[in-house]
Amino acid sequence: MKLGIVKFAACTFALALGGCTADTSKEALPVFSLAWSEYPSWSVFGVAHEKNLIDGAAGKLGPVEEKWGVDIELKELDYDTCLTMYGSSTCDAVCITNIDALNPALGRKSVAILPTSTSVGADACIVAGIENVEQLRNHKVYGLSKSVSEYCFVRNLEKLGEKESDHQFTNRDPGAAAQALQTKTDDVQAIMVWNPFVLQTLRTRKDTKVLFDSSTIPGEIIDMVVVAQQSLEKPGGEAFAKAIIDTFYQLNALLADPATGEATLVALGAKFSHLGAEDMRQVVQQTRFYKNPDEALALLKGTGLKQIMKLVLDFCTSHQIVPSAPTIGYGSGADAQLRFDPTWIEAVKNKS
Amino acid sequence: MIRKPIPQSWRVGLGVASFLLLIGAYSYLSHRQLEENPDDRSIPSWSRLWSDGVVRVFTPNEHTGEVWIWQDFQATFRERLLAGMLVGVGVSLLVGLLMGCYDPLEAFFLPPLAFLAKIPPVAMLAVFFVLVGSGFEMYVTMIAFGIVPVLAQSIYHAAKDDVPDELLHKAYTLGASQMESIYNVIYKQTLPRIIDGVRLQVGPAMVYLIAAEWIAADVGFGYHLRLQSRLLDMSVVYVYLIVLGAVGFFLDFVLTRLRLWLCPWYGH
Repeated sequence: MKLGIVKFAACTFALALGGCTADTSKEALPVFSLAWSEYPSWSVFGVAHEKNLIDGAAGKLGPVEEKWGVDIELKELDYDTCLTMYGSSTCDAVCITNIDALNPALGRKSVAILPTSTSVGADACIVAGIENVEQLRNHKVYGLSKSVSEYCFVRNLEKLGEKESDHQFTNRDPGAAAQALQTKTDDVQAIMVWNPFVLQTLRTRKDTKVLFDSSTIPGEIIDMVVVAQQSLEKPGGEAFAKAIIDTFYQLNALLADPATGEATLVALGAKFSHLGAEDMRQVVQQTRFYKNPDEALALLKGTGLKQIMKLVLDFCTSHQIVPSAPTIGYGSGADAQLRFDPTWIEAVKNKS
Repeated sequence: MIRKPIPQSWRVGLGVASFLLLIGAYSYLSHRQLEENPDDRSIPSWSRLWSDGVVRVFTPNEHTGEVWIWQDFQATFRERLLAGMLVGVGVSLLVGLLMGCYDPLEAFFLPPLAFLAKIPPVAMLAVFFVLVGSGFEMYVTMIAFGIVPVLAQSIYHAAKDDVPDELLHKAYTLGASQMESIYNVIYKQTLPRIIDGVRLQVGPAMVYLIAAEWIAADVGFGYHLRLQSRLLDMSVVYVYLIVLGAVGFFLDFVLTRLRLWLCPWYGH
C-alpha cells in the first residue's frame, strides 16, 4: 500500500518534471486572457482558434500570437458570466457592448480597443397579433431588463413619440421569452430579444412580425473588445491588444475572400444557434461588422461616438443600471474610467 | 480518539471560531482586492457591504415605497416555494404511503420514480417551459417534479421497511380497517421519517426554484441575484446569499422542532 503511494508520487513528480522541461525549452510568453461569448462578431475569436490563426489555450501559440509575441488565452463563457469575470478582474479583456461596459469600468479602468460590430436590426421587438405601437401599450414586452434590449426598446419608443411609462417592459431571459412566444404559452405576445432569437422566432412562428428594431439606431449599440488599463500596462499588454485586433481583421479578410468566405461564415454560425450560410448572411447584415481598420477608426475618431455615449450614459443613469456615471474619454491621452482608444488599431494598420 | 466527547464550552467555542475564520477570510480577501484596486466592487469592504448592500436592500424605494428583498421574499418563499413544497409533499405522501402498502402500486410506480429521480430537474428547464409555460405553475411544477421522485421513494421505504408486521397484525386483531391501519399505524409510525425527508428536500427545492427564477422571473431571489451580478452589484449579491442561507437554516430548524413536537417518542 505504502509502496503504491510512493510509486504514484514518483510518477507524478516525473511527469511534472517532464512537463516543466518541455515548457522551458520554448521561451515563455506573457499570457493574457480574453473572455468571449457566442455572438457573430465575437465568435470570430473562437473561429480564429479553429482556423489556427491563434491558439486559445494558454501555453500554445498560433502564428498571430508568434508575430506579436504574446500568448492569448480564450475563455468562452455565457455573456453574463463574462461581465462578472471581467468586473472581478479574473480576465484581462472581454467582449462586451458599450452599454454593459459602463458598470465594470466603475471598478476597473477600461479601454475599448476594438469595435467589432454594431446592431442594425439584430435587436428586435417581435409581436404576434399586435398591429402598432399604440396596441403594444396593452401588452407586457418580455426581454432582459437593464440590458441592450431595454435600451433599444426605450430608444425606439422615444423615436416613435411614445411615453416609456405607458409600456411594460418585463424581465425574462431572451431565450425563454422567445420560446414562450414560439410555443404560444402564457400569453406572451411581445418580446424584445436579440439574434439568434429574432431570426429563430420569425421563422418558427409565421404570424409574428418585427414591430421595430435596432435598425432605427445604427451605431448606438456597439459590440466591442475592452481591455483593462492595468493589463495594457503590463509587459506584453500592448502586444496583446494588437494581436487581438490583428486576429479580428485577419478573420474578416477570410470572410471577405470569395474562396474562404462561405466556409468561414458557416464556421461563425456553427455555434451561433446552428445557422446555415444563408441565415448567417442575414445575421451579419443585422450585426454590421467594423470589418477593417478604416471603418473602426471612422467610428472611434468621429464626433458621433461622443453623442452616442452621452445617450447611453443618460439611459444607464436614469434606469439605475449604473450607481454613478463613469467618466468616458476618447483618444490615447484621455484619463477616464472608460476610454475609446484607436492607438492599437492604427498600429496594426500601419504594420500590415 | 474517535468519538471522544468534548466539553460543551469547547463545542461552542469551536463553532464560533469557524464562523470567525470565515469572516476573517472574507476581510482578508476584500482587503487584498481593495489594496490592488480601491474601486473594485467584486469583494466590497464591510462598510460598503453595509451601505451599498444591506441599506439599499432593506430601504423602501423612493418612488414606489417597495422594499426589494421583501418583494422577493414574498415571491420566492411565501408563494413559489410554499406552493411547490405543498404540492410535492402531498403527492409524495400519497404515492409513497400507498406504494409501501400495496404491492401492485409499488410495482407500477417504483420504476418510473427511480428513473425520474436520476434526471436533474434543472437540466429539464426547457421542457418545463414548453409544457407549463413560464409563470407561477412552472415554479410549482419544477419544485414538485424535483422532489417527488426522491421523497416518494423515501416515504415508501419507510412505510414498507420501518413498520413491523406484528404492529399491523395487532391492529387487525383489534379490529382496525385498512384505512385505520394505514393512518394509525403506518402513517404515524413513519411520520418522523417523513418530516426528515421533507427537511432534506428543502435544499434541493431551493436549488430548482432559484434556477428557474434565474431564467424566467421579474421578481424573486433568483431574478435579483442574476440581475445584480450582471450589474456587478456584488454587495447586494452577498446580502441576498446571506438571507437565503438564513431562511434555509430557519426552515431546517422549524422542521426539526416540528418532528420533536409531533413525535417525541422518536428521539433526536
